[in-house]
Amino acid sequence: MPEKRFLLAALSLVMLASCLALAQDDGGQRGRPQPQRHPMTFFVASVGLGNGGDLGGLAGADAHCQALATAVGAGNHTWHAYLSTQARPGEPAVNARDRIGTGPWYNTTRSQLGQPQNSIISQDLGELHGDTLVQAQRGSNLFKQSARTEKGEVVHGVGDPPPIEHDILTGSQTDGRAYTDKADHTCNNWTSSGAGSAQVGHSDRIGNDNASWNSSHATAGCSQAALESTGGSGLFYCFAAN
Amino acid sequence: MTFFVTSAPIGDGGNLGGLAGADAYCQKLATAVGAGNRTWHAYLSTQARPGQPAVNARDRIGTGPWYNVKGEMIAPDLAHLHGDTLELARLGNNLNKLTGLTEKGETVPGLYDYADPRDNDWDYVKTTPFSNRHEMLTGSQPDGRAFTDTQDHTCNNWTSNKDPEPGTANGNLNAPDGRPNAQIGFPDRNGGGNGSWNSSHGTRGCSQESLPKTHGVGMFYCFAIN
Repeated sequence: MPEKRFLLAALSLVMLASCLALAQDDGGQRGRPQPQRHPMTFFVASVGLGNGGDLGGLAGADAHCQALATAVGAGNHTWHAYLSTQARPGEPAVNARDRIGTGPWYNTTRSQLGQPQNSIISQDLGELHGDTLVQAQRGSNLFKQSARTEKGEVVHGVGDPPPIEHDILTGSQTDGRAYTDKADHTCNNWTSSGAGSAQVGHSDRIGNDNASWNSSHATAGCSQAALESTGGSGLFYCFAAN
Repeated sequence: MTFFVTSAPIGDGGNLGGLAGADAYCQKLATAVGAGNRTWHAYLSTQARPGQPAVNARDRIGTGPWYNVKGEMIAPDLAHLHGDTLELARLGNNLNKLTGLTEKGETVPGLYDYADPRDNDWDYVKTTPFSNRHEMLTGSQPDGRAFTDTQDHTCNNWTSNKDPEPGTANGNLNAPDGRPNAQIGFPDRNGGGNGSWNSSHGTRGCSQESLPKTHGVGMFYCFAIN
């Protein structure tokens, strides 16, 4: 019996020591380089609006970004959809790149332990779009595993189980600006779910023989079915403008 | 097939036996899978030395188009491969995680495959074929050309397996103090804060053991020049 009691006492001591050690570990982490936490300022909309290329215009798309962000506690930022619109009589074009602030932008992910983490998407507009030749050749840090939804999920891309949703609506040229020709690249400035077409990029940067995140190819049409026929569901990028 | 990623490293860090040794290795791997009828060159630059001009990786690989082992096009020509114009550079080439295959058709394990802290330990990595090893030696700038500064970006023109002197490693992936170093790129474009396929960052040194510290093992790209 005394032996057993001694064992129990020893065990308790060990457990107590472990707790103390853990507590000390926590304290010690202040001295270690920790991954810096940044608020999420970029995400891919986890769901689209469901009506093809009709997003209710820029205002509708922005509201969708804001609602999704708010649902995960990030509504304190002003969220804008990364979308361009084309010039119309009396209405100048809008460039996606001019709507998203100046960066840097961070995503949200979850570590294997479930802790939220943030990794950088891009430092600034120049790096995001490749404004200089070297920046363009290098590319940004937007890739399949960093282009997360507001819930921290990866968007299904080439090689993943269907549905593949990597076609991301942008209506933009590779430099992030609106098209200046007559053809429709924006589903009639995000109001058409029938005729027209929209330019898309790939969140996994795979497809159509290029690696463009924002301007890879045109959609087959503007209906929801047309978007789905080439590997999209009407998702778009959301950036915090502040 | 006119393009592949070496399925294994030579195994002596940044010492590939110079360009000749690396080319011979490409040829050997290609021959082993029945593609030895072409002339294969490693995608590697060397830096200028007294009496020895620099060699640009992009000048060694023919004119394309290049296809992987599954017949998927990597790029139609040198300009598309490197992004010689702003528009081409922004679009990028078709080298990615799914097309950047070895001569045996294997995908190169990257950052999110079986993530394990031991990925940085050569003793673990050499016996764990699925661990992260996505850094390809190139010694090149993003345009595919040799570096022109005085730092080492090529493990002394692919002849060095040396590590920095103790106390000089300091975590810097460049080599401002003349440390042994090699520039690398990612076939899966995932890493280094930019995802460059041919010029993302440097290494911790040139020994075989130092390459895995940033997730490489000394593999490189091979292109058929004819």
